[in-house]
Amino acid sequence: MPMPTRTILLASTIVLAAIIAGAPFVLNEGILRLATECLLLLTMAQMWNLLAGYAGLVSLGHQVFIAFGAYALFLTSGWLEVTPIWVLPVAPLVAAAVAAIIAFPLFRLRDAYFSIAMWVFAEIIGAFTMKSQAVGGTSGVPLATSKLIDFDWFEPTMFWLAGGLTLVTIAALYRMMTSSFGLGLMSVRDNDLAAMSVGVDVRHNRFIAFVLSAAGCGLAGALSFMGNLFIAPLAAFDVNWSVYMMFIVIIGGIGTLEGPILGVIIFFGLRELMTGPLGLSGGWYLVGLGVIAVVVMIVAPRGIWPALRDRLGVRLLDVHRAAPRTATAAILPAASERVTG
Amino acid sequence: MIWVETLINGALLGGLYGLLGIGLALVFGVMRVVNIAHGEFMVLSAFCAVLLSNMFPQVSPLLMLIPVIALSFAVGWLYQAVIVNRVVTSPDPLSPLLLTFGVSVILRNVMVEIFGADVRSLQVGELSRASLEVAGLNIGIMPLLTLVLAALLFMALQLVLRHTEFGRIVRATADRRDIVRLSGVKPDRVYNYVMGLSLALGAIGGVLLAVRSSFTPFSGAERLLIAFEVVVLGGLGSFWGALLGGIALGMAQLIGLKIDPNAGLLYAHLLFFIMLLIRPSGLVSSRV
Repeated sequence: MPMPTRTILLASTIVLAAIIAGAPFVLNEGILRLATECLLLLTMAQMWNLLAGYAGLVSLGHQVFIAFGAYALFLTSGWLEVTPIWVLPVAPLVAAAVAAIIAFPLFRLRDAYFSIAMWVFAEIIGAFTMKSQAVGGTSGVPLATSKLIDFDWFEPTMFWLAGGLTLVTIAALYRMMTSSFGLGLMSVRDNDLAAMSVGVDVRHNRFIAFVLSAAGCGLAGALSFMGNLFIAPLAAFDVNWSVYMMFIVIIGGIGTLEGPILGVIIFFGLRELMTGPLGLSGGWYLVGLGVIAVVVMIVAPRGIWPALRDRLGVRLLDVHRAAPRTATAAILPAASERVTG
Repeated sequence: MIWVETLINGALLGGLYGLLGIGLALVFGVMRVVNIAHGEFMVLSAFCAVLLSNMFPQVSPLLMLIPVIALSFAVGWLYQAVIVNRVVTSPDPLSPLLLTFGVSVILRNVMVEIFGADVRSLQVGELSRASLEVAGLNIGIMPLLTLVLAALLFMALQLVLRHTEFGRIVRATADRRDIVRLSGVKPDRVYNYVMGLSLALGAIGGVLLAVRSSFTPFSGAERLLIAFEVVVLGGLGSFWGALLGGIALGMAQLIGLKIDPNAGLLYAHLLFFIMLLIRPSGLVSSRV
């Protein structure tokens, strides 16, 4: 039944877009800021998931793309003296360009080597940023063009941008994963030798996923720091960005589009609970999140959403493909009964 | 002359870095797992040493190495048995990576909450300042002892792995986890001992590094990156390569600090990255 699913998805996208458009008129500024933060982190998590869950590359240095995007926005906006919103496209472009260059040495490495080499790369760029007075050094730079911002509409605009970005990201990922490119990508993750043998260009697919993931993180990072009106290297190159993205994806469900959404809800739900009513510090919150992630990895290695989905039989943004059923049924009726029943 | 001294001091520091790397290399060589929490465990052992030497101020902090090593072995054994063994045979090579990364985040933040984020160090009194004068060069006794200790440990590890029954079992398990079961070896048990040994080696490195320079609960990431760079630079699975890799990194770091006093580990990272570009297989590419 592909048609009804499409219609439902389209309808829910329109409803969500309407909710995002109307939300700033209903919610107060504090909640709006929190919602913006949630949406941006969701986008980053989706981008990390694109790389880890679909392309099989775990990056522990993705904060470098967030920082590149954010610094690109701050510096370009300052040089051109235009409102930061109009130079937003610079952020993903710079992050993507950096990813495209760094992919050449890094793609020689597999698995953990790639992960840690990404981390070392982020450390190197972070160290250079702290040394360079042109980009503010250790103390960072404020947004030079903040006087051009209309502060009456700043929070709503940030929320709309974040919401729009999230919707576009998820819709684009859904389209991508149901296309032949997505199928090729997932085949690389599952078995790169088998994928190569049927003509999938492994390197090319990984490269595209890497560059797209960097671009998305660059844009989300730029928006995140634009909301703060200030950027400093310790915050921009913080390895916790990767920790957050990873925990959200791992807890929610790696390699699914719904997983990061569930992960973000748990991430912020736990944070508001632990640092609010329970009055615990940020450190204990990270410990709690880490314990949940470790338990999930041991008990349900694919994450909470896939486990729930199998139990409840719910499918939301499913990009899973089933083998043609009639053929299997004709050849192996007993086996197909076991599978479907 | 000042440069020769820097090079020698770099080489001495490299012995310590080799010690940081060797535990990581051992676990990777035997079970194909990069234990991301290795750095946090090193910092934890340093905290243990500081606590113990505060409790018994009359005992030399270096003697505290003995209980800390024993404790680290036990912690490693448990860590492997309770957590890592559950994912070590996972068909997805990313599972152990993500799991140990999760553990590292937990450990780091527990240490921040319990010990605070202050800068600590382990005081060994006179010994840390004592130095030898050889041909006009000033060489610290403590770094020299560290390098000698590192070389001895490397040799001991090599002997154990090559010539004892335990070593044969470990090597056999590393080669064929499924086949050793036919000879009555339980691979998970072997892994427990290997992780214990790895963390015990890490504890030696962690405590000695805490004598040399101060640390905070956040130092784990830095130590992990050094350990990892040592292993990759040295070539996978090569113990002497790890020592060489450590020496190269130590020299790069001290030369970097001489040119640029607040460079930190930047030049060590840069050396690693450049080596990755021109020689991805490491300095020594033979396997033990």
